[in-house]
Amino acid sequence: MRRALARLIALAALPLALAGAAEAAPKARLAALPPYAGAYQPQGVDERGLWNEADEGERSLRDSPAVIADPELNAYLRRVLCDTVGADRCGAVRLYVVRSAEFNAAMAPNGTMYVFTGMLLRVRNEAELAAVLGHEFGHFEERHSLAGFKAQRSTSDFAMWLGLAGAYTGVDTRATTGSMIGGLFAFNRDQESAADRRAFEYVAASRYRAGAAADVWARMMDEADATAAQRGQRSRRYDRVSFFASHPTNLERETTLRALAVKNGEGGEDAADAYATAMAQWRPLFLADQLKRNDFGGSEYLLHQLAADGWSPDLLFARAELYRMRGNPRDLVAAAGFYREAIAKGSAEPLAHKGLGLALIRSGQPGEGRAALAEYLKLKPDCEDAPMLRSLVQQQ
Amino acid sequence: MVLASVATPASAQEKSALRDGFTLPPGSARILLFRPKVRVGAQSTGGMFEPNADWTDQAKRNIVTALATAQARLGHGIVVAEEPVGPAAATLASYRALFATVADAVITFQFFPGNRLPTKKRKGAAFDWTLGEGVRDIPGADGADYILFLDTQDAFGSTGRKVAQIFAAGLGVGITSGVHSGYAGLVDARTGDLVWLNADRQMGGDVREADGAAKRVTQLLEDFPGSTPAPAAIPASAGTAAR
Repeated sequence: MRRALARLIALAALPLALAGAAEAAPKARLAALPPYAGAYQPQGVDERGLWNEADEGERSLRDSPAVIADPELNAYLRRVLCDTVGADRCGAVRLYVVRSAEFNAAMAPNGTMYVFTGMLLRVRNEAELAAVLGHEFGHFEERHSLAGFKAQRSTSDFAMWLGLAGAYTGVDTRATTGSMIGGLFAFNRDQESAADRRAFEYVAASRYRAGAAADVWARMMDEADATAAQRGQRSRRYDRVSFFASHPTNLERETTLRALAVKNGEGGEDAADAYATAMAQWRPLFLADQLKRNDFGGSEYLLHQLAADGWSPDLLFARAELYRMRGNPRDLVAAAGFYREAIAKGSAEPLAHKGLGLALIRSGQPGEGRAALAEYLKLKPDCEDAPMLRSLVQQQ
Repeated sequence: MVLASVATPASAQEKSALRDGFTLPPGSARILLFRPKVRVGAQSTGGMFEPNADWTDQAKRNIVTALATAQARLGHGIVVAEEPVGPAAATLASYRALFATVADAVITFQFFPGNRLPTKKRKGAAFDWTLGEGVRDIPGADGADYILFLDTQDAFGSTGRKVAQIFAAGLGVGITSGVHSGYAGLVDARTGDLVWLNADRQMGGDVREADGAAKRVTQLLEDFPGSTPAPAAIPASAGTAAR
């Protein structure tokens, strides 16, 4: 049973003082974290059973092609985790980077942490990442999987007896069963809130700025709004919590965390530059995965977020691809412009020439388009679609 | 295939299939067995699966032991594969996943004749599924003739579930107690062809006990190409339950 962090982010960029402008002042610490006993072994039939399942799951996850095993990236994330929850705690966790464009992270009861690349694309600094990793660790330390499993079992057992008793006595028990199921979802939401509070405590006791956690949820809501607007749906930003929601609403999470941050001071560092450096070589891959989600509004919003301090070649290339994929005539014109800009800014991505060529050919500039394709074929003579592209280049 | 007119369960589900013309002469094959997927637990009153680590461990040991015994009587050599590391592990993981996907497809689209795909509907259409020749890349496959995949899941009905079953029966409602399903598949280590698959949603044998596991393995290997092993009198070994 995995606990997922929840979907979605986004953020009206807070007028942050430029990262790195000043060394963060030493924080007034909330409190030292309570001591942690490492190498916890599961107790009792239920917990041992759950851990056993989680161990099997981890075996298959470990060798899965969906996991990015790059040692440098993994070491970096582990360092942030250890800086967040402390060296003694992070020893209990194995961290796996899962290549999935969703904003998510998850924790198995045995200390397997799943970090989704979609989350890495969206958080902007180490402080925000610390909040997410801390949330997952909170689930682990409070043994939420076990409590959730037990709650689910006792609820379903009771519902069974209630149903039987009702059937024997001719009483309709469906309403009661329904509210019990609602209680189960509420239980899950309470666990998520507890994990958020836990994460806040870890981050407050670490070198990072604890208030960063709220920014994540604000951005998630903005991104969801951008997606909804593009698809002609209504915003769900101010919806009340729904009956079957597994998590509190993003608004509630943001509000709670914001209040905690106001109360406990905003000291600590964001380490945005360090984060950007660590993600630089991965961002093109994460962006390419994001574009495949067929979410024009959300992707466009996200690109604007990432480009807050200037459009770098990889962002321009991603934006060009996004527009070319939607493929309206006006989009192709815009895409060609973005490709050209990316190339002018020194994009090392050969695909920029291919995309530019295709966009130009389709928007009535075959001569320039063929030249761009020829450039691409010069860079990538053995690419998969070389014969087809050559035929396009040779067409008169 | 037209179903035989013997009494079949209402679902009219077939349980196993064999690739056309495939026989496995006794005493010839080297069979590679990968870590069997075994899940054993209880079924709660409400019907949830409650994993049990001890039962799972016992069952895993018992099944491997029973399997070796059953195969030894046929004369085949069963080699339990080492857990690979590095790129080899990724290859194995992909093929395990592929096998599970293909096996599910066989169960869905072959064993339920109503679901047969158009090309497999024709009379006499062959049982023809493959994982592709890439199976040769699986670590250890080069020294083997066949690869055996095993997967069983058991949930023993808890006391509460059994009592609930009785109460429900009093109302004329049938609820099941316990889930016992498993499948076994044999893949040709050279071509990747699935030569035999046996899947059963209702299996017998208590895998937590040595002789129960022997019974389960006998059922899993029913219609195993070559011959069916007779249920062996396996000495009930003492050391199964390590509490």
